[in-house]
Amino acid sequence: MKTNAMDKRDAFRHNVLTSGHRACSGCGEAMAARMVSDLIGPDAIYINATGCLQVFTTHNQQSAWQAPWIHSVFANAAAVASGVEAALRAKGKGTPVVVQAGDGGTFDIGLQCLSGMIERGHDVLFVCYDNEAYMNTGVQRSSSTPHAVRTTTSPPGRLSQGKHHLKKDVISIIAAHHMPYAATATIAYFPDLKAKVEKAMRIKGPRFLQILSPCPLGWAHDSALSVTVSRLAVETGLFPLVELEHGELTGVMRLAEQKPVEEYLRPQGRFKHLFGSKTGAVELRHLQALADARIRHYDLLDADTQWDTERAMQSARHGRGGYASSMPTSEAVKNDA
Amino acid sequence: MTPELDIEPGSSHAYHTGDWRTRQPVYRNKWPPCSQTCPASEDIQAWLALATEQQWQAAWRKLTERNPFPATMGRICYHPCESACNRKHLDSAVNIHAMERYLGDRAITRGWKHKAVCDTPQTQRVAIVGAGPAGLSCAFQLARQGYPVTIFDAQAAPGGTLYSAIPDYRLPKSVLAKEINAILALGIELRLNSRVGKEISESDLRDQFDAVFLAIGTQRPRQYLTKESSKHSVMSGLEFLHRLNRGEQIALLSKRKSKQVAVVGGGNTAIDVARCVRRLGAEVTVICAQDSHGNHHRELGTEMPASRQEVIEAETEGVQLIYRAGVCRLVRSGEHLSGIEVAHVDQVYDRHGNFNPVLFDGTEEFVPAGLAIFAIGQEADWQGLERLSQATESEGVWLGGDAVSKSKLAATAVGSGYQAAMSIMARLKGESFVFDDHKKAQITFRQMQLHYYPKQPRHEGETNEQRLDGFNEVVTGLADDDAAHEARRCLSCGVCFRCDNCWHFCPDAAVIKTTADYEIDYNYCKGCGICAQECPCGHIDMERLND
Ligand SMILES: Cc1cc2nc3c(=O)[nH]c(=O)nc-3n(C[C@H](O)[C@H](O)[C@H](O)COP(=O)(O)OP(=O)(O)OC[C@H]3O[C@@H](n4cnc5c(N)ncnc54)[C@H](O)[C@@H]3O)c2cc1C
Ligand SMILES: Cc1ncc(C[n+]2csc(CCOP(=O)(O)OP(=O)(O)O)c2C)c(N)n1
Ligand code: SF4
Ligand code: SF4
Ligand code: SF4
Repeated sequence: MKTNAMDKRDAFRHNVLTSGHRACSGCGEAMAARMVSDLIGPDAIYINATGCLQVFTTHNQQSAWQAPWIHSVFANAAAVASGVEAALRAKGKGTPVVVQAGDGGTFDIGLQCLSGMIERGHDVLFVCYDNEAYMNTGVQRSSSTPHAVRTTTSPPGRLSQGKHHLKKDVISIIAAHHMPYAATATIAYFPDLKAKVEKAMRIKGPRFLQILSPCPLGWAHDSALSVTVSRLAVETGLFPLVELEHGELTGVMRLAEQKPVEEYLRPQGRFKHLFGSKTGAVELRHLQALADARIRHYDLLDADTQWDTERAMQSARHGRGGYASSMPTSEAVKNDA
Repeated sequence: MTPELDIEPGSSHAYHTGDWRTRQPVYRNKWPPCSQTCPASEDIQAWLALATEQQWQAAWRKLTERNPFPATMGRICYHPCESACNRKHLDSAVNIHAMERYLGDRAITRGWKHKAVCDTPQTQRVAIVGAGPAGLSCAFQLARQGYPVTIFDAQAAPGGTLYSAIPDYRLPKSVLAKEINAILALGIELRLNSRVGKEISESDLRDQFDAVFLAIGTQRPRQYLTKESSKHSVMSGLEFLHRLNRGEQIALLSKRKSKQVAVVGGGNTAIDVARCVRRLGAEVTVICAQDSHGNHHRELGTEMPASRQEVIEAETEGVQLIYRAGVCRLVRSGEHLSGIEVAHVDQVYDRHGNFNPVLFDGTEEFVPAGLAIFAIGQEADWQGLERLSQATESEGVWLGGDAVSKSKLAATAVGSGYQAAMSIMARLKGESFVFDDHKKAQITFRQMQLHYYPKQPRHEGETNEQRLDGFNEVVTGLADDDAAHEARRCLSCGVCFRCDNCWHFCPDAAVIKTTADYEIDYNYCKGCGICAQECPCGHIDMERLND
């Protein structure tokens, strides 16, 4: 086997998930996984369920991972991680263990192993990259697919307006295990995502992150809009950013301003069938009502929290911070005479 | 290069996903609207960025590359840059003029000196006629490049109209003098009391110098045309201001019983005169042929030319304004002036766009006044310069400033001096010169992502409440802390401010951050466009690739 030099192109970041992977142009999952793995660093063991992330990062045996990485099967990533963590513990090592899976590998086929892993109290971070369908096999609906979305297995037509059922409330299911830390995040709010990954890495025991990761192919939006769309998911209230510790709600991202769901739905082809028909209009109202219900449930407009959607967006001169604290910083020098 | 299919296990780096790209991101600096509208073409974004880092001296040097009068201009420029500033679409424009003044004042207190750009002395000599902002700006640019420059001015002090007409409460003489001295310290020769065409002849100038720049301003007031011969109790605005600025007593006022003054005109000179009259303790009415600000009068083309801010200040100080009023006649009893008869103005301008008010019969009113001051425009005085003014650039003569510009602003004069200097140097070196500032790529707020910027209130200087007690400055400068904060309000339109967004968001790790910069690794960039979409300031362009 050929040995490859580590990617040292960037002095400010490890690039644990580096270039040359085969994700689609503008992939939100590739972006999210790169952010998360760079925040954790290369000294960790990554276990990947079957799915887009696994396939596009290791295509034709060319790996984009610059850290130890294991491919499990579709259903058992959490079980494999449990074993790895138990073995490390037996050897007296504290190397962090991280599981990565799509929504299919989390909400559906992986749920049983995940539940067992949490119940047994393994010291593992489980990250779900939620792109709201089975993308790797060509956009089939999953239990994470939101209501009224077009997928290849929920096609809109005369009898249906896309998926009938609702998006599974997986964060509540996970939190109901009374486990130490479960949170939702998304790519648009990097400072928030960073804070949550860092917090999760400070906690011992099972931890869970659900990261909304737009998919330009499956959601049918312009590849340039992945971040914009994920921001709108939060600003409309459809995807609340929350933290739960031992089952209790401990943090939410307040909405500085609630945007109408239409702003989120418009740029996405998977909702296109809802515009311009009477039955579609009903579903639009339904989706708005679902957003309103989420907002009420989590008190997203009035909650007293450190973040709101305006503050968490703010850019600063000289960056919002890099990834690992040991990295060089670009400090400006004062000069005056 | 995409490898053959018999692939060995290894790193994904072997596979160049950049091959998929149909469009690509390019980092490109833009020219923000503030600089676009600044008549002196200052690189406002660049000097504000240095101020953000509290690199005050570097900021001042960057600013003075285009405008050696920051303390002056920060006080008197009507700052069109701020009306154009993209930040007004977020909360309110950056207080550019206050920042400019802050840097200028800091340079004065700390005695910062201009540096020459080029150390090799040039031999070709340049004469400049007029020591106003246009002439001084041109001299500054030439002297920095090592050219020997001589300025001739008819007045007893340099500064042109800034010195002779602008009142102290807006621009203290000492501030102007210090900025001028800093310019002259580059080794510029200044000959005062030397009117070209009188003390020095046109031909002497041509013989002794390789190039001549004429920047004589508009020093001759337009006269109020009237059949009556008496000049008693009538004065031009320019004369009034000149006398005041020379420290003369304007005795006419104090002897009057009525202490009523009428000022005719709707421009900045009229407002300046009126505000001075208030400071001398008299009542004053401005008779303006145009409409007030607002109510779409600008769109209709009937708005008064004076700056809105100046009018607001004047009204605060008790100046009365009457709009759409034209002068019918001066009302006298013998020599004594008792007032002005005015009437409603129907049309202000004629078909050719010339000021030519039509007055309606039967609408006459009487405005009592013991002194009438006409501030109705001024023009260049070409007397004695007949031959020079007809010469062309190829004959070594350049024209600039108020004498020839349409827009009569000090900053326009500075910009015109800069352009003349560049053109003169190119010609003396036998090169060609094209002024291309206004061809640079521009940026509007629509190309930016304003939600990435926090809202922050604008910082202002303080207003002097006792302002009518003399000619003290009305507005103070910014406090140190406020200046640093105000600089940070700049959105850095079109110019990277190293926010890291493109670097954080690239799904392909194709944006590489270096200590100085960001680079795109085109081997792996798939051209998704996220970096360009999420760049707050619109610094990144997406370019289509052919085939
Ligand atoms: C009352 C008033 C207020 C103003 N307020 C503002 C303001 O707040 N903000 C703003 O931006 N602009 C203001 N302006 C306009 C501004 O002053 C001018 O745009 C600017 O000074 C023009 O600069 P200049 O160099 O072209 O000419 P000037 O400043 O007029 O200088 C021309 C110089 O040439 C000299 N000169 C003329 N003929 C000869 C000759 N034959 N030989 C030798 N020397 C000669 C004159 O003595 C004079 O010193 C104001 C103007 C007036 C009248
Ligand atoms: C047991 C099993 N069933 C089906 C598959 C086929 N399969 C591979 S990836 C995938 C979809 C993965 O979807 P998801 O977990 O949501 O991840 P994504 O690809 O969307 O990131 C499926 C159905 C499989 N590999 N194993
Ligand atoms: S925000 Fe800054 S760069 Fe943009 S227009 Fe205003 S001053 Fe200029
Ligand atoms: S985000 Fe990355 S892949 Fe996308 S266009 Fe920019 S550099 Fe290329
Ligand atoms: S996104 Fe930020 S770092 Fe990147 S080019 Fe724009 S301003 Fe610079």
